[in-house]
Amino acid sequence: MSELSAQLIAALPENFGSGPGWLKVLRQAGAEEFRAHGLPTRKDEAWKYTGLGTLAQGEVMLATDFEVMVSGSTHPKPLVENELQINMLDGQFLAEIGNQRPGLTVLPMADALIHGLTGLQALLESLTETQLKTGSTHGFSALNSATLESGVVIHVAAGTDAGSLSLIWSTRAAEAPLLFNSRICVILEQDAKLELLEHFESPNDNANTSNIVLQADLGVNAVFQHIRFQQESDDATLITRTEISQQAESEYAYYGFDLGGGLVRHDVHTSIKGSGAKSAINGAYLLDGNRHVDNHARVDHIAPGGFSDQYFRGVAGGRGRAVFNTAVCVHPGADETEARQSNANILLSARAEVDTKPELEIYADEVVASHGATVGQLDEQAVFYMRSRGLSEPDARQLLTTAFCRSVSDKLADQVLGELISKRMMDVMPQAE
Amino acid sequence: MLKIKNLHATVAGNKILKGLNLELKAGEVHAIMGPNGAGKSTLGNVLAGREAYDVTEGEIIFNGKNLLELEPEERACEGVFLAFQYPVEIPGVNNTYFLRAALNAQRKYRGEEALDSVSFLRLVREKLKILHIGDGLLHRAVNEGFSGGEKKRNEIFQMAVLEPTLAILDETDSGLDIDALKTVAEGVNRLRSPDRGMIVITHYQRLLDYIVPDKVHVLADGKLVATGGADLALKLEEQGYAWLEDGGIATLDVDSVEQMANP
Repeated sequence: MSELSAQLIAALPENFGSGPGWLKVLRQAGAEEFRAHGLPTRKDEAWKYTGLGTLAQGEVMLATDFEVMVSGSTHPKPLVENELQINMLDGQFLAEIGNQRPGLTVLPMADALIHGLTGLQALLESLTETQLKTGSTHGFSALNSATLESGVVIHVAAGTDAGSLSLIWSTRAAEAPLLFNSRICVILEQDAKLELLEHFESPNDNANTSNIVLQADLGVNAVFQHIRFQQESDDATLITRTEISQQAESEYAYYGFDLGGGLVRHDVHTSIKGSGAKSAINGAYLLDGNRHVDNHARVDHIAPGGFSDQYFRGVAGGRGRAVFNTAVCVHPGADETEARQSNANILLSARAEVDTKPELEIYADEVVASHGATVGQLDEQAVFYMRSRGLSEPDARQLLTTAFCRSVSDKLADQVLGELISKRMMDVMPQAE
Repeated sequence: MLKIKNLHATVAGNKILKGLNLELKAGEVHAIMGPNGAGKSTLGNVLAGREAYDVTEGEIIFNGKNLLELEPEERACEGVFLAFQYPVEIPGVNNTYFLRAALNAQRKYRGEEALDSVSFLRLVREKLKILHIGDGLLHRAVNEGFSGGEKKRNEIFQMAVLEPTLAILDETDSGLDIDALKTVAEGVNRLRSPDRGMIVITHYQRLLDYIVPDKVHVLADGKLVATGGADLALKLEEQGYAWLEDGGIATLDVDSVEQMANP
């Protein structure tokens, strides 16, 4: 076990006290698992290409005291103004701006844990269960459970369209880099609808680590659109996990945009538990400098007639390193499933690296599945074509790489947001070497 | 406007052009015909500055400038336009956006103000009207999923917007049915002007029924072996290219006959 893991174990709270008994059990279970395994290492298959080297060297301290946040801290400007915006600082609920529509309930996690909320306990407990089923030990999630206290609970009542909600995440520089744990729980009842925009951006003067788990339970015919945009500071570490459970005919759409961060790891996993549910998992990652971005996407088709589409595009320049793992498992009985996986990458530098791995397991009948993973350079024919019309070579290359990533932002129904994200991507687009 | 002297060019070590001479004056349209492998497309690509083509000897003077010293984008900004034989598909890049970026890059080079999107769209609509092309292609990605005819029309449309002084049409007729061919030819004819020179590269005489050239050159084995008026194209059509090897040139009533490269 690494020194960092040992440090974090020593810093775990002694007493899992306040709140209901089940919560104490849940925290204890997390702590026990973390004590047993610690943080993941390269020996774990799912972390083979992602070491925690830079994080471990940083002498990160576990943030454990949940003091009231100071007001007046600068928060990143949201990409778009949504009806409701929650500002999260250092993993904690800082402020709520705007109005909650009838049928929408947004609470700080700490309040929801004390007062209780229908479905919350089951949702929180399901994380451990999912881990046991998929057989993946995920030390960060165990740590997150052991320290469960901060975060947000979002509940949308049956038949309600809750509109758009923004979660703006930021951290402050501290004397020593800190590790924050936070949990987001999203409960969409039958026929409920929600659009959630998560935006991560911190001032460029800190090397904090955010460890955030988002769990969502989608009721029958519920629709959850989840946009995750991160432009973290170069030294920041962002470990996020998204765990989605889908009932029949529900729709989940994920759009992830990784533009920043020094070490970024994101696991997105959906379980199609009800028939006819749809999952679209899309992402774009842009890497330059020494940045490392690892995306793991997995869809488990448990019920029949489901549809999943995983679509990721990546551009790596400098010494950037991208890891992409896409997995689909069509379980026995999940007949007539359609599953697509597509990952394409452009390497702009000889020192950049992309490790991409599609996985497909099918144990059902009448399944339509396709997958493709490519790593290549820019199309030189296209570069010449554009130059022959008057565009400079750098402009031609930038237009091509941006277009490549735009194929992800163009999927957003909100064109204004798609355009804003596309501009942000253009601003940080790695240059060819 | 354009003087090509003793041009030799190689592709991947193979000698393709072997001493080509050509002079084009503003306002003229020259057709270059010849059998497959004669070097027709190489000429177009060398003029546009494609990197895979190495010029080993000779020079190209365009409006007083040494064209071979210029980057492809500088040539474009100086007014050279190549309508590609195989226009490249660029997924994700909107046709209108691309063309505006190209036009503004050229305007910047010439010290002119960039066109805002409103003025640009006005210009684009005007050109589409002149060329009788619908506006459907404006909203699509550059050439992506275009039919052969749409791709060629898009090349002519780009040419109309960029208003080059030298346009090279590289087998613009290939793969077109007769209706598409007529539309493309009509577009080209509308762009003929006293300030603009055009080189029409083609394998078949058919296109020249609609674009009547001032001169027709025969390119064979890397050199222009014959030059004549528009009627030369018809004779070529009748007799095919086979006579080139049989020394048939002498039987043609042409303005000039150059020595074959390998007599």
